[in-house]
Amino acid sequence: MSVAVERKGMNRRAFLIKSGWLAAGVTVLTSCGAARSVLPAMPSFSSPEPEDALAWVQALPGGQIRFFCPRMEMGQGAPLGLSQVVAEELNIRQQEIDCVSPATDQTPPFKMTVGSEGIFDFFMPVSYGAARLREALRGLAAEKAGLAPELVQDGESGFVLPDGTVLSYGDLVPSEPVVLSVSASSRADEALRRYALERKGAYRAIGQRWKHHELEAMVTGKTVYSRDVTLAGMLYGQVRRPPAFGARLQSANGRAAEAMAGVNAVVIDKGRNFVGVVSDNPFVLATAVQAIEVEWEMPEELNQDQIEAVLDVEKYRAQNDFEHELTAAGDIEAGRAQAVHRNTARYDTSLAAHAQMEPRAGVAWVRKDKVEIWCGSQDPFFVQRRVAKAINRNLDDVVVHSHRMGGGFGGRVLCLASEEAAVLSAAAGKPVRVQWDRETEFQSSYFQPIFSHFIDAGVTSDGRISHWEHDFVSSPIMTGPMPKSIAMVVDRVMADEGTARGALSPYQLPDHRVRYSDIRTAVPIGPWRALGAAPNNFAVESMIDELAVAAGMDPVKLRLLNLPPEAVRLAAVLERAAALADWGQTVPEDWGRGIACGVYKGQTAAAVVAEVRVDHKARQLLITSMWCAQDCGLVVNPDQVEAQIMGNLIWGCTMALKERLTVAAGAVQERNFDRYEILTHREAPEMTVALVEPPDAPPVAVGESALGPVAAAIANAVFDATGRRARRLPMSYEGVFSDG
Amino acid sequence: MEIAINGKAVAVPERLNDVVLLDFLRDFVGLKGTKFGCGIGLCGACTVHVDGIADRSCQLSVADVAGQEVTTIEGLSGAAPDSVLHPVQQAWIDESVPQCGYCQGGQIMTAVALLRDNPDPTEEEIRDEMSGNLCRCGTYPRIHRAIVRAAKGGQDVSRG
Ligand code: FES
Ligand code: FES
Repeated sequence: MSVAVERKGMNRRAFLIKSGWLAAGVTVLTSCGAARSVLPAMPSFSSPEPEDALAWVQALPGGQIRFFCPRMEMGQGAPLGLSQVVAEELNIRQQEIDCVSPATDQTPPFKMTVGSEGIFDFFMPVSYGAARLREALRGLAAEKAGLAPELVQDGESGFVLPDGTVLSYGDLVPSEPVVLSVSASSRADEALRRYALERKGAYRAIGQRWKHHELEAMVTGKTVYSRDVTLAGMLYGQVRRPPAFGARLQSANGRAAEAMAGVNAVVIDKGRNFVGVVSDNPFVLATAVQAIEVEWEMPEELNQDQIEAVLDVEKYRAQNDFEHELTAAGDIEAGRAQAVHRNTARYDTSLAAHAQMEPRAGVAWVRKDKVEIWCGSQDPFFVQRRVAKAINRNLDDVVVHSHRMGGGFGGRVLCLASEEAAVLSAAAGKPVRVQWDRETEFQSSYFQPIFSHFIDAGVTSDGRISHWEHDFVSSPIMTGPMPKSIAMVVDRVMADEGTARGALSPYQLPDHRVRYSDIRTAVPIGPWRALGAAPNNFAVESMIDELAVAAGMDPVKLRLLNLPPEAVRLAAVLERAAALADWGQTVPEDWGRGIACGVYKGQTAAAVVAEVRVDHKARQLLITSMWCAQDCGLVVNPDQVEAQIMGNLIWGCTMALKERLTVAAGAVQERNFDRYEILTHREAPEMTVALVEPPDAPPVAVGESALGPVAAAIANAVFDATGRRARRLPMSYEGVFSDG
Repeated sequence: MEIAINGKAVAVPERLNDVVLLDFLRDFVGLKGTKFGCGIGLCGACTVHVDGIADRSCQLSVADVAGQEVTTIEGLSGAAPDSVLHPVQQAWIDESVPQCGYCQGGQIMTAVALLRDNPDPTEEEIRDEMSGNLCRCGTYPRIHRAIVRAAKGGQDVSRG
């Protein structure tokens, strides 16, 4: 039974004053401070409302602008891009913005930081909030000067009066707190000028290569990640891990551990499946937690071949049984009859881990009147709800402080380390830190599911796709981390969009059908960079290449020929990537080139060319170069966007060549970087990145948009080099040259 | 036993002789810039200098460095006030290298040791030397450029 934990309806003004947030300065609020209802212990899904944005931007005495950034930082740089939007509206420079990651009592709840939405979903509300603040300040200037606001002109970090007098924000912001209530009428909104929308071509902050405000802290080791948080009197905790997914605690005996010097307490809670230890000496923790005698009730044996047998597309095809039909039109049989070249193929991808470099950590301090959590999570409000529930406290008692994450990639929506710390702190009565080690990170998180695809497609005599029959199976991703009781209901009524992301090909397909099933296994599944987009694109774009080869056509030409006329932006990046790579040139023996493209979430178009070299002596596939062209609309910070694209390309190389988790006896076998390798510096290809920015296109997703086509581009290049297809990821020299 | 950490002598309580140097730095000395990534010597996040040579602090005990000089990312720019950056740190900023930043202290420590031994490394030498430092965010191209930039005395060496 889940117990609802609800945020009480809270007038936003009362909320701000209560939290002590409103120390001084100018805050703008709407007159109707509607509070939102929040689901019980569920991730935060709701998109931002413009009014929410008013609480994010505040003018401080002295004229500094404080920006409580509603996007969590994990290296994607959204807080920097959004700071540029704030600066554009307020005519300020970077050093005048104090961009902070708010604690949960400093802003109304906001949506979890996922899906590369940081800029496209928040550009508008942040611009609105900052523009509203600017106009409120203009009102203060007008009042001070005894003039109509229309006569008060914009200046640098302030305003200019008709007689040339300069009024900076610092001159206007009083030292006592001022809340200006503005009406949220649509008329007022219509009249509001939004420089972030108007100044195209003449932007002052947007589009600039601003450097991240935390760079210096990062290169000097001063950035405080959640792993680095230290409180006075803090104790150290560690939790004993179940040996398999779903193992239940039978009994535990903590006497031996309790007898160890430095150990304060052993916490055993059977109902919660929890065994942990608290110590004032961090150096004995690992030994102490192992000294607890524990018996587990083991679940049914779970091994890799069982999981692969469940997620086997051909099994479902044999029974013609798929849960969801994504799209269907025309007559597949008629289309098939038109095919002069027909191809069928199966493509498989593996279970994968986030393997972000910082294993997660949390510090909790549970007191009578207040609970504080320090963590790095993509969804601090979810952590707040989960912690409140775990230790049975009111939601309003719990405050979550957010730290920069050492990588997120979808894996840090939950922050279990914080919950563990909270349980231990509640028992110990002192602040407690819990740090996961690498093994825990691999074993106790959730994963990218296996995908198994089958495509039957063909080309007509004039090079058009004749038919497209695509079936696949995987596991639910978006709803993966839900508690079982809820998930069972959800599965019945909902097809998992995350699993299906990117499964629809962008091409014109007269006769086609795409079906899939999302099946749960005992393996914990959840969001991983780009969700289904990378595995799905791998299947689609591999098949397109197979068709081009079968028809003897250039793969760029075949793609352009089959794209619908409205896909101009995708066509443009394809042509741009091909031009960057000087596509069509001959390469030496054992070298090859491949191309792939895709549209992420219906928004961002990306095309990737990969060049590989096959080293027969070392028996290795090497990725030598990559070229990527991306159209993500308006580029708020080219430096950040290029960095994200390079990160996507490298992530895609790792996915293509290395990543595979396997399960034995209900646990993952790869528990550190010895067996779960990621791409190294030596293996990273040369990269060339181009941004295609059509005029008047709003900013769209960036953080995982270029990932989709990478694996297919590499597989297609391997075919070009060897005449052999890599249809199973990760690919390897052995795999490509085996006759299996 | 004493070790010198960033130029300061630190007395080691005897019971901590066998503690892993990384843990000692973070939880006893309070220097949190050196990071835990894997604990088995494979990721480089914990890289420090021991008498000027880059080493993995997760693979050393405190006793292993007795009487030696340990430098962490916090001590890289010397005992000078905070504002002075090491040229490699500056190159890292000039090339906007860090994404999440977590691996970067280790990357910088390895790069500094590389350039100290080999002030003008070839591409291959950089690749070889830097391959023990993993970065999941994929900052390798910019790390590479930053090292070349630092080797050239801070000049921009064309974008690639
Ligand atoms: S933590 Fe030492 S090498 Fe990874
Ligand atoms: S910058 Fe994130 S791991 Fe390297």
